[in-house]
Amino acid sequence: MSLRQIVVEWLDDNYHFGEAASLIRDDEMSFLKNGILDSLGFVQLVLFLEKRLGIKIDRKQLSPKNFDGMGKILAFVAAVPGYTGPR
Amino acid sequence: MIFSGVEFAYFLPVALALYWLVPRRAGAQNAVLLVLGYLFYFTWSPRLVPLFALATLVDYAAARFIAAQREAGGREGATPTEQARRDRLARLGLGVSLAYNLGQLCLFKYLGFFAESLAAMLATVGVHASLPVLHLALPLGISFYTFQKIAYVVDVYDGKIPACRSPLTFATFVAFFPQLIAGPIVRGDDTLPQLAAPRRPDAEQWRAGAGLFLLGFVKKAYVADFLARYVVDPVFADPAQFSARAHWLALAGYGVQVFCDFSGYSEMAIGTGRLFGVELPKNFDYPLLAKSLPELWRRWHITLNTWLFEYVFGPLTTGTSWLRGRLDAGFLVVFLASGLWHGARATFVVWGLVHGLGLVVHHRWDEAWRRLCRKDRAWVARRRSAPYVALSWALTQAFFLLSLVPFRSASLGDAARFARGLLAPHAGPALPAASAAPFGALQVALCFALFAAYHLLEIGRGARLRDAFFALHPVVRGAVYGAVVALLLLLVPVSAGTFIYAQF
Repeated sequence: MSLRQIVVEWLDDNYHFGEAASLIRDDEMSFLKNGILDSLGFVQLVLFLEKRLGIKIDRKQLSPKNFDGMGKILAFVAAVPGYTGPR
Repeated sequence: MIFSGVEFAYFLPVALALYWLVPRRAGAQNAVLLVLGYLFYFTWSPRLVPLFALATLVDYAAARFIAAQREAGGREGATPTEQARRDRLARLGLGVSLAYNLGQLCLFKYLGFFAESLAAMLATVGVHASLPVLHLALPLGISFYTFQKIAYVVDVYDGKIPACRSPLTFATFVAFFPQLIAGPIVRGDDTLPQLAAPRRPDAEQWRAGAGLFLLGFVKKAYVADFLARYVVDPVFADPAQFSARAHWLALAGYGVQVFCDFSGYSEMAIGTGRLFGVELPKNFDYPLLAKSLPELWRRWHITLNTWLFEYVFGPLTTGTSWLRGRLDAGFLVVFLASGLWHGARATFVVWGLVHGLGLVVHHRWDEAWRRLCRKDRAWVARRRSAPYVALSWALTQAFFLLSLVPFRSASLGDAARFARGLLAPHAGPALPAASAAPFGALQVALCFALFAAYHLLEIGRGARLRDAFFALHPVVRGAVYGAVVALLLLLVPVSAGTFIYAQF
């Protein structure tokens, strides 16, 4: 399962129940501005990704700059030291 | 001097003329803004101006020191030992800044409260201690500018923004008078770049600023002040004199008052900022439309709640924190902090705890619904149905309104007395002193109608109507604005009260 699928599945399980993939029009789309995820959801997503992918995300990086959109999440997680791909 | 006062009507045109007449260089413009900021502060707290200046200097120096350590530690050829030493020094710089800012806040705002609370607690176990209590004047806007400076220094420490090199730009950032006494709480990454560049006259920005200022003025000087004087204050001052209906009216009136007072202030601040070519962040986003507590807190006092989320909740519930993943505990801590931020009073602590608990309950409820939705998609449709949405909205708004009882009361005893008055039917006037005002009942109804209309113009047909108004010929819109100003001159007393949030 790709990282994209993991994120979409989490969004479906927690917020959009089967509609996440259709709601995310493109990788640049802001999750915050388009109601895909709220700020509390960011925290929950970060905690989930840490557990699911076995990575550590520094509190300094918990910012919309890194998580507000599919493209940003994919690029950010790929650059996390120690990340070796979905498990 | 407050935005809705007569003095400000003289101050603003002179300030604007001075500002736009100086050469369009950032330095010259900032020098004018700095003088205006200190002058504005001086009219409120002349004796505390040196303290305000010192607080600015401390954070300017701390951020520059941190940035210097980061630069030295990251230099090519720096050994791991040297990097570790520089990291320690950067942490020291952050620690000094935090200790100074929080220490100052504690000294002026909380020391007396904690000493009195401790004495009261000891008294309950039979120990009568006489603790020394300092009665210091609370520096105006201390909660706002302290949070603003803490965010700046933490952001520099985290490497999110560079340390501001110019002391003039930084001092202007701290003392920018439109947001100095009651926010919005601005952030370095947003406001410092604006102040570092020269600002040019922009007719569209001025138009938007003046319109927003007028809207904020109507909310504050007419709606909030009228409701406070004739509907809210009389009942909260002496609840026993009034009927249960008057209690409910006063509570609803306070909900409208506190919103119009603070969002009106924020709009006047943002509008004034635009007249000076500086864009301040939005502080309110139609909170009456919120259908859940988390949504309400994303719409109410946005800059404070974003601050609390980014600098308290996020670090507390992620990373290596011992509260990692414990979102419920995070809610309680954040709202306890929010309550204390509003003031050193037991009523604010209770208000914060009530909202923290409210968020915990909402979070648990939401989790339970999600579990149901995962099992059976029919629950998704139920969750989106009109009755569910309407009930969510009603519960959210009712919860918020009832939580204002301790928020408005001077003591827990007063809050309890007012709460009893909401439930116990007893004799007394149904409508407070509003009848004393010209067209009293009509004006009360108009205040509530304006509050509702403000929100309704944001959704559905209301939004289309609003857009149609803004599409009208400028002369027609100008005539409407003129009529509003004329009405205000008739209805609003010359000397307006202070802002609720300025006291925090």
